[in-house]
Amino acid sequence: MSDKYVESTTPPAGYDPQREQWLDFQQDADLAELTQADSKNFILTTVDELFNWARLSSIWPVTFGLACCAIEMMAASATRYDIDRFGAGAFRATPRQADLMIVSGTVTAKMATRLKRIYDQMPEPKWVVAMGSCAIGGGPYFKYGYHVVKGVDFMVPVDVYIPGCPPRPEVLLDGLMRLQDKIRGRKGKLVTPKWVQDYASKIPDVKPEGGR
Amino acid sequence: MEAAAIHALLTEKLGDAVLDVIDSFEKGSVIAAGSIAEACRLLRDEPALHFDQLMCLTGVDWDGYDESGKGKSVDILGYDELGRPEKSDRVGEGDLGVYYACYSSRHGHKYTLAVRVPRDAAQIPTVSGVWATAAWHEREAYDLVGMTFSGHPDLRRILLEDGWVGHPLRKDYVMPDQWQGVPLQGQDYAKNPFSEDDVVLPARPGQEG
Repeated sequence: MSDKYVESTTPPAGYDPQREQWLDFQQDADLAELTQADSKNFILTTVDELFNWARLSSIWPVTFGLACCAIEMMAASATRYDIDRFGAGAFRATPRQADLMIVSGTVTAKMATRLKRIYDQMPEPKWVVAMGSCAIGGGPYFKYGYHVVKGVDFMVPVDVYIPGCPPRPEVLLDGLMRLQDKIRGRKGKLVTPKWVQDYASKIPDVKPEGGR
Repeated sequence: MEAAAIHALLTEKLGDAVLDVIDSFEKGSVIAAGSIAEACRLLRDEPALHFDQLMCLTGVDWDGYDESGKGKSVDILGYDELGRPEKSDRVGEGDLGVYYACYSSRHGHKYTLAVRVPRDAAQIPTVSGVWATAAWHEREAYDLVGMTFSGHPDLRRILLEDGWVGHPLRKDYVMPDQWQGVPLQGQDYAKNPFSEDDVVLPARPGQEG
């Protein structure tokens, strides 16, 4: 492993390994005090946070595979990647028991009406992940796809877009974690990892010759 | 049996109905449209031929090809970069046709029959009475290219839904902007609907680096 990877694993400022790091109370200074080692007896939280924590810990997707992205989705649910680690491994055979619809593949005009019906049958709260180029915007069928809906967000509201053709299972898991962040409702900032910044800073500036 | 011998046998049995020989990678014969069912039945029933399997039935649009079969450039309509259907008043010209790819499991030889009909009278006798699998193949050729097969038991669309307008694999097909309320045109992705503030997500440990 090279040095830059080692660098990226250094803990963030303010990270205390002695403190219990479960849930994400450590982001809130007041709640963090209550979860110190000497006050283990009780936890204070809000009903919203508790419910959101329960929701994001057991997102049940509906069994819904459309194209080759579905193969990657199956791989993500198998042992090597094991989407069940994130509580999202219970693929339900009926939309009435599901929270999440992973639109994994090309949405044709014929399927779009069925997709809308399945989405309508899911109970609230519900989320949608658009997986792959086709579900995001038609993908390779944008130009001549007479039968393809150019993005599933024409049909249903989409929470997380996962680009790729098809996205690897790790990317699907990352999209799932992004959805968990969204359900958690925490505000934050997307930070570029330091090794990416370092790498980008080493790329020399290439200016077009002749000038414009 | 060699392809040339099959062609000679067809010419002997059918006479003027055999129009031409196909001497490309796949050997075959061009048959007059009215005699195609008769020719297929001969291929199947003749003991020396015994073509018991129809491997594929393909509809063809020769729009943009000249008489000798050489292609020339034809603008195929699609969606433009903003996702809107491209419009043109060009009317397709050139024949339509069907290719029948046959295989004999007893003799192990292959043969191709071809039919070519004018665009405004694209009607061919069905061969679903010869090979039952031709019924669905002919439905597909009807659905996507617009060939009509007379005598077909159940000539409906097979891939697209009933009520679709037009036949999409014709080269002068104009893409639809919607179908029964389902939008089929794209959107302008150059105009990003998300501002930068909306995509801010919480950082996870290990990302701060």
